[in-house]
Amino acid sequence: MIPFDMVEPTSLQEAIALLDPEDGSVRPVAGGTALMLMMKAGVFQPSRLVCLHRIEPSYARIAIKDGGALQIGAMATLSQLEYDVNVGKHFPVLKRTLRTLSNPRVRNVARVGGALAHGDPHMDLPPVLAALGARITIASRKGNRELPLEQLYAGYYETVLNKDELITTVTVPALDGRKAAYIKVTSRTADDWPALGVAVSFAVKNGAIHDPVVVVSAATEKVTRMANAERLLQGRAAEDAALNRAGDAAADEASIHSDAHGTAAYKRELLRVCLRRAVRKALSADAEVRP
Amino acid sequence: MSARTITFTLNGEPVSTTTEPHRNLVELLQQFGLFGARESCGQGLCGCCTVLVDDVAVSGCLYFAVWADGKTISTVEHLDADGALSKVQQAFIDCGAFQCGFCTPGFVLMAQQLLKAHPDPSDDDIRHYLSGNLCRCAAYPEIIEAVKRAAKAAYVSEKINR
Repeated sequence: MIPFDMVEPTSLQEAIALLDPEDGSVRPVAGGTALMLMMKAGVFQPSRLVCLHRIEPSYARIAIKDGGALQIGAMATLSQLEYDVNVGKHFPVLKRTLRTLSNPRVRNVARVGGALAHGDPHMDLPPVLAALGARITIASRKGNRELPLEQLYAGYYETVLNKDELITTVTVPALDGRKAAYIKVTSRTADDWPALGVAVSFAVKNGAIHDPVVVVSAATEKVTRMANAERLLQGRAAEDAALNRAGDAAADEASIHSDAHGTAAYKRELLRVCLRRAVRKALSADAEVRP
Repeated sequence: MSARTITFTLNGEPVSTTTEPHRNLVELLQQFGLFGARESCGQGLCGCCTVLVDDVAVSGCLYFAVWADGKTISTVEHLDADGALSKVQQAFIDCGAFQCGFCTPGFVLMAQQLLKAHPDPSDDDIRHYLSGNLCRCAAYPEIIEAVKRAAKAAYVSEKINR
């Protein structure tokens, strides 16, 4: 890697003050596992990294709040989330997702906030947390603002975060009986970046899907909700005809391009099939939480 | 840019050295003549650079050297510090779980971490946990066998938890 400076502030306020709203070569680093790949590839060359490791430990806590919402400090590692007792008990879809997210070494180091802020559409946590209706709290010199996670992404590796803003907390509302699942397809090797990710969550009322959220990632340039597919699932039983119609609608409305992971036509077909499977998985998966 | 002095515990000994922000943990270890952690894929995928930081496995190639400051770092070279191979190392030998041996330090360290998380692992647990370690000699069946052998009661000892 090419030389750069690294500063290690000990408070969130100090970290924000060290960021530069005008200079893209000054960036925060949380776990660094994704950023270092960009630096090694030469696509990002920082002048200064603002390391967040020494800021207050409260930004790395995971807790269940009143009402059952899950509050995740942005500096919690992915392993912390994976092995958190409450996450396993109340948000099994997160635990299942983390098991196949990269590998244990990366999960030991990568931070939840970094995984969201990086803006890489191939990552697993953004679609799942978006499907669960997660909100993020963002801190800057001006104070805090809140945003639904699904509104964080502006494009390929692009977010709406300003250069001097940091995600501090992720809040996931209680599932309250909602079903959720995530399916990813890797087209070359099992540990490859996915060609497609599909995350769904929905309630079940009188045997029908209610209030569905369908989120597509990896095949699209950013994490994207599938409004037409959601409309077609609303009020329907999880039967082939309804699921296939929703899959077709998603394949039509998603903006998918060909790349090294597969052609656009191939990924559209994956989406048709995986949306159906994701709904089925959500309905059947909650029982099988692994230790 | 700014070189800095860092102090940390390396394989049980307090050490101090100078490094720079753009160096990674593998490069730092090389300053101490430790070559068990190797940078192979350079992307955190292959596991050859596995190092324990405060007893947690990391990819040394994706971990800044300056982050070692104040930490306890252990490498594969420390496993036989008391003169005997660790139980996982012995199980790898007993099962012939390697050919060229290039990936073995990473597999051994990850297997020890695996046994801490899953003391009695299923094949599925082993495959998932070690999915981020690549063996180009494809000794995978023997590696899985070795992990199970190490997990057996006779092999579970304080060494696994060290």
